[in-house]
Amino acid sequence: MRKSVFKGLFTMALVTLSSIASHALEVGEKAPSFEAPSTLGTIRLADYLGKKDVLLAFYLADFTPV
Amino acid sequence: MTAFQRDLKNFEKLNTQVLGVSSDSVATHQEFSEKYGLRFPLIADEKGKLATLYGRPGRAAFIIDKKGIVRFVHKGVPDNRVLLDELEKLRE
Repeated sequence: MRKSVFKGLFTMALVTLSSIASHALEVGEKAPSFEAPSTLGTIRLADYLGKKDVLLAFYLADFTPV
Repeated sequence: MTAFQRDLKNFEKLNTQVLGVSSDSVATHQEFSEKYGLRFPLIADEKGKLATLYGRPGRAAFIIDKKGIVRFVHKGVPDNRVLLDELEKLRE
């Protein structure tokens, strides 16, 4: 009985961990800050805070449709 | 990305910075931008760091407000009308 409880807790912990690891960002959450190279120099999310809204569009690759 | 360029003025009118992200290098992005006349930055996420930070979203667009909060997530092929509508809502 006790063993199965531990097993259950362990499974729950694993599920929680994996959901954190592959957690897709959702509405209402803070956008992770970043700094990355771009065609127009280094881009920092922080540079736009308080100034502009940002549309961050992930896409698959250049020279592909859409 | 060319669809964003076509509507870039409309995004700019809504005080929105468009940023494209893929795992291509800056050099490839530059070639791509020149060929299609893209005037907004394309981020080179070669190691996928940014994609990981945002939960490996695949093809998706995030609207982030001035406070840095995610206000809208559009999965799949982006639809400018939907995105512009959401940006307008933020202004209400």
